[in-house]
Amino acid sequence: MHEMSVLSSILEIVNQTAKEAGAERVTRINLVIGERANLVDDSLWFAFSLLSRGTLCAEAELNIRHTRLSFYCATCQSNYTPPIDNFRCPVCHQIGQITGDGREMLIESIEVAD
Amino acid sequence: MNTHTVKVVKSILANNDVVAELNRRRLVEAGVVAINLMASPGAGKTSLIIKTLEALRGRARVGVIEGDIAGSIDTEKVLTAGAQDAVQINTGGNCHLEANMIQTALESLDLSQLDLLFVENVGNLVCPTQWALGEQLKLCILSTAEGHDKPVKYPEIFAISDLIVLNKMDLVELVDFDRSFFYDSLKALNPTVPVFEVSCRTGAGIPEFAESLLKYKQARP
Ligand SMILES: Nc1nc2c(ncn2[C@@H]2O[C@H](COP(=O)(O)OP(=O)(O)O)[C@@H](O)[C@H]2O)c(=O)[nH]1
Ligand SMILES: [Mg+2]
Ligand SMILES: [Zn+2]
Ligand SMILES: [Zn+2]
Repeated sequence: MHEMSVLSSILEIVNQTAKEAGAERVTRINLVIGERANLVDDSLWFAFSLLSRGTLCAEAELNIRHTRLSFYCATCQSNYTPPIDNFRCPVCHQIGQITGDGREMLIESIEVAD
Repeated sequence: MNTHTVKVVKSILANNDVVAELNRRRLVEAGVVAINLMASPGAGKTSLIIKTLEALRGRARVGVIEGDIAGSIDTEKVLTAGAQDAVQINTGGNCHLEANMIQTALESLDLSQLDLLFVENVGNLVCPTQWALGEQLKLCILSTAEGHDKPVKYPEIFAISDLIVLNKMDLVELVDFDRSFFYDSLKALNPTVPVFEVSCRTGAGIPEFAESLLKYKQARP
């Protein structure tokens, strides 16, 4: 949906960081993307292939690690990661407290060559 | 050739957040309370702005930034309803507003003449939640006709909102809106969020909602 805009934000930050590090090129970009961040991997890769041309990232690998929506159920005293459309505890069917919103959109690190 | 890892640990939206923070400071300094209105298309964003304008007429100066895909029809509507000032953002088909769009819109508003500023976001329950604009209040409108399961299906917007308006209460019986299902799931996501049940059609609940915004503003001169 809006992966182009997200990708251009990523490239802005990565190219800036790489330049500051005196890198010749970026070999890998490590992202953390929550399952509920509303970003589709394929669309990110597609946007990356278009927008990275002519930048320090042109040959980099875009690596994506996913995080999940997670809850804590006080009744069962356990954590659970429910399916995306039903966040009740799988055991007692109550709704627990949210512990991780699964909405991460992070640039964790980059690998550069110099 | 050597390769090495550079730690970044930065939000992808860091640059948007910087601009949002500039907007926020500018609004706070001018004493303007900005409200980011998020909802599905047709939930009643424009209707709520119009009803609130009517309820606050003569008591608060209200500006409106129209970001919903709309042309300028809604801008004219809110000006007729008594808005002090209104600007239309051309979103270019974007699915959400971003902080730099608000920054540009603020250029054409005289903030010294405003108490409240409504920002009507693009009709969408999903991505507007991810882009901070510099608002002080995030307001989510749900209309009863959309169904009581929306907090379960779109948890983040309900989790991050400071205020919830449940609109189209005049239709509550007709559309089998299950209030206890709605409130149970909302409570799990956002235990203390105030909910205003209103009907923009009959005007029910509008005075209470409008008063609460006025009170919020009066606490921040
Ligand atoms: N029955 C009923 N209709 C409403 C209510 N509020 C808004 N509407 C109607 O819902 C439609 C969409 O409203 P609008 O304010 O344009 O929604 P927006 O797309 O969120 O800005 C319009 O036809 C309104 O007249 C309400 O409380 N009850
Ligand atoms: Mg509208
Ligand atoms: Zn349980
Ligand atoms: Zn979007």
